Amino acid sequence: MDFKDITFKVVLSLFAIFYYLYALVISKQVKIMNKTLQDEHNGLILFVTSLQVTVSLIILTVVILSIFII
Amino acid sequence: MENNNKKSSAFYSYCLNPQTKFDTQEDGEKIYLLLRSHPFTQIGWILTSIAFIILLFVLNFIPQNIFNIGQIFVINLFFIAFIFSYIWFNILNWYFNVGIVTSKRIIDIDFYAVLYKEITNAQLGRIEDTTVKSGGYVESFFDYGSIFIQTAGTEANVEFLNVPHPSDAVQIINKLLSKKHGL
Repeated sequence: MDFKDITFKVVLSLFAIFYYLYALVISKQVKIMNKTLQDEHNGLILFVTSLQVTVSLIILTVVILSIFII
Repeated sequence: MENNNKKSSAFYSYCLNPQTKFDTQEDGEKIYLLLRSHPFTQIGWILTSIAFIILLFVLNFIPQNIFNIGQIFVINLFFIAFIFSYIWFNILNWYFNVGIVTSKRIIDIDFYAVLYKEITNAQLGRIEDTTVKSGGYVESFFDYGSIFIQTAGTEANVEFLNVPHPSDAVQIINKLLSKKHGL
């Protein structure tokens, strides 16, 4: 493994961690916003936000796995 | 309020008698109007998102030998997640920044960058003046503009920026004010 590969993996891991934290913060904030304004689309908004958290978790997993595989 | 000539329109940015509730709503307080920014004002981030999607496709067609196939897959995954997050962030920013006209007051709910919350209230009895500002070709063509509601004393003024059908919205507010003042 050369220096370029190590740098790539470190940068990706940091991005994945920050993206996961960002998705968690947005999800928390969406819950507050949904409480502030309640209407018929709140369910859909919560669903998409949960999807974002799930995707961020999948990305984090893929990146961690790629450290060992790629 | 039901006789207003504009019905709910423009992608939920002008909703008459909406089925919506807000956290500080009092018993018997009825929502007559809910306003969001006109969808046309969101064109900036929509175009940026399209540019990002085009960029993603273009980058994938440029032959390169810096990254291997696995790394390109992970980079693409990140790029797609970034575009999705950017779009979703802007949708949330648009959706939850609302102006509400109720039977008792006028409320401006703002979430700056999704994270900071600001709620401004103006009781109908404390409202002194309403101003509509709309100008330019685009605002006239799409019929949107800003409403400024001035309150008495030290109470904060309320602003609804770039909302659709501003004249109709002010008409509703004025009717409510007349009713409140018994005119």
